[in-house]
Amino acid sequence: MASTPRRLKRSGLTMPIVTPRFINNAWHRGCDFINMDLEDSVPPNLKDVARNLVRESIPVVNKGGSDAVCRINHDLMEADLNAAIWPGITQVNYPKAEYGHEIERMDEIITRLEAERGIRPGTVEIGANIETAVGVANAYEIVTASARVMDFGGAAGYDMSRDLGVEMFVSFDQFVYGKGEVELAARAAGREPHAAPFTPNITGSVSDPDRAFAEADAARKCGFRIGGGLHPAVVEPQIRGFASSDDEISDAQWVLQEYRKLARTGTTWVQIDVSTVDREGSPRPMGADSYLGRHRVIDRYEASRAEELLQWRDLCRERDEEKAEAVARVRASEAE
Amino acid sequence: MSILVRRSNLIVPAVQERMIRWSWQRDADAVTIDLQDGTPAAEISRIRKTLRQSVALAGKAGAQVFVRVNAEYVYADSAAAAGPGLAGIVLPGAECADHVADASAILDDLERTHGIAPNSLEITPSIETGAGVWHVRETITATPRVKQVVIDEAALAASLGITQSADHDPLVYARGRLCIEATAAGVQPIAVADPMGTQTGQVSRDEMIQIATDSRNLGFKGMVCGHPSWIDAVNEAYTPAESLVDYYTQVREVFAQALAAGTAAAPFAGRMIDVPVDEWAKDVLAMSAACAARDAEKQAARQATDVWLDAHPWDQ
Repeated sequence: MASTPRRLKRSGLTMPIVTPRFINNAWHRGCDFINMDLEDSVPPNLKDVARNLVRESIPVVNKGGSDAVCRINHDLMEADLNAAIWPGITQVNYPKAEYGHEIERMDEIITRLEAERGIRPGTVEIGANIETAVGVANAYEIVTASARVMDFGGAAGYDMSRDLGVEMFVSFDQFVYGKGEVELAARAAGREPHAAPFTPNITGSVSDPDRAFAEADAARKCGFRIGGGLHPAVVEPQIRGFASSDDEISDAQWVLQEYRKLARTGTTWVQIDVSTVDREGSPRPMGADSYLGRHRVIDRYEASRAEELLQWRDLCRERDEEKAEAVARVRASEAE
Repeated sequence: MSILVRRSNLIVPAVQERMIRWSWQRDADAVTIDLQDGTPAAEISRIRKTLRQSVALAGKAGAQVFVRVNAEYVYADSAAAAGPGLAGIVLPGAECADHVADASAILDDLERTHGIAPNSLEITPSIETGAGVWHVRETITATPRVKQVVIDEAALAASLGITQSADHDPLVYARGRLCIEATAAGVQPIAVADPMGTQTGQVSRDEMIQIATDSRNLGFKGMVCGHPSWIDAVNEAYTPAESLVDYYTQVREVFAQALAAGTAAAPFAGRMIDVPVDEWAKDVLAMSAACAARDAEKQAARQATDVWLDAHPWDQ
């Protein structure tokens, strides 16, 4: 199977594919992906109509550089895949994943459709979402069932609440065990965990930009890189939350600079009191009052964290430029 | 499928005959007569002789009655309890499928010899050790007799060398694993009303409602109550509140209107209502109805008992 470059999924909007005003305006929202929903936001009597809209909607939602992805129905998997796998689709999201054999079956169908429809083999990724206790119990078998599963998470949300019989919006993390199991399964299998640490949301708001930022920022600091939402107001805050701040970038550069100095001395670590470091210099560490603290240890673990941070910064920048250029192209052609 | 409503389960030491005599009046959905903890070995034979009467007494206001047997005497304790009114046994220290399968074989025999419907007696494994937490999947799926599984936090803490305190919660993982594995297996996870650090007699009604509500929001379906004063709070917390019933009734109306208008996603009170929210609303309303039916059943049993008591006042 061909390897594809890492796809960024910091922000995305999930929308009913049967609502034209959402689909038609999605391209300029600045999302990394647009998730065209065939599942819960589409009434049962419109499932056929919805399927027939996917192929024509792909170029509509991805013309501004967003990836076009599609959420299918668990119980209508074969028919939905047949409707969704067309050139331009980068991922199908499979809800309520419970067993490895479901994913194996999806892989077979996607492989066949890629071959029949002129799509480079291995292009279409699977986002497997855990929404039941059975899914949590079988997490590792699910995530390892296909190399296409590159986005693996869940164990929270309305369906999970319902399966466990718990209220969705409470003041503590009622899903902590399941989320931990799913994250570990993804990490063990070398796939991207789709998760977020607990941030209380007792209002249940889906459009609060401050909350969206706080959640994305916390997720990034916990090592998660995938976001998504339902309302355009959360797109920009998510992108911002998943980006490293200028201070963090300068700090990472400083860490690598100090690590290079350290390597020349032949020792493996050093502790530096950042309050003694020139704050006007560049690069410079974050302040003593930052979340990283005053006494900083420089060693290969810190250097590796700093490297990842800078690589992520580059990937984000590249992706944002790509989207900005695509949007500019569309606007220019519309102006002609 | 009917919903098993067993919110509160009052546990009473078998040796405390006075408590057993009063246990039926406490409005618990279930009563467990405990032959294990607090029963002196010398007393067990004597207690076994009256166990059947105790079971009948504890259940006369509609509570389902269980007997917590001794792990070493599953046969003798179960045989002493087997008869009309026994819902099942609580199996302490269950750690693997064999423990449950062995107990199930004993109940097979007892059902046959006592004319009890086959496979009707339940087994509730009580998880009390690290091995029990780890092997919970095989333990609860060993027989369809398992409808509930209980986490005994005091026993678990003791076996793990944990000093109980309100300051730390070392059982987050154990509770989470129990809820996930039980739910996955279609078995109800049951908590204890005296979790880490809670001391009998020191808990206000409001605190108990909060403890029970938090447990329900972890996925538990009921609680074992070590003190009768906790039962009302636990029943209340595990019954959907009127405000919740009103809210989800409105959710169902809003969603039905959205569907009629051709969409399955609609805003309501700042939240997004779609299929899973509507499904959850159905569940809450069904649970509310099931709780009301269970309460009516207990009320009817209690009224019948009052009539009977008038004729036999000495029983009090």
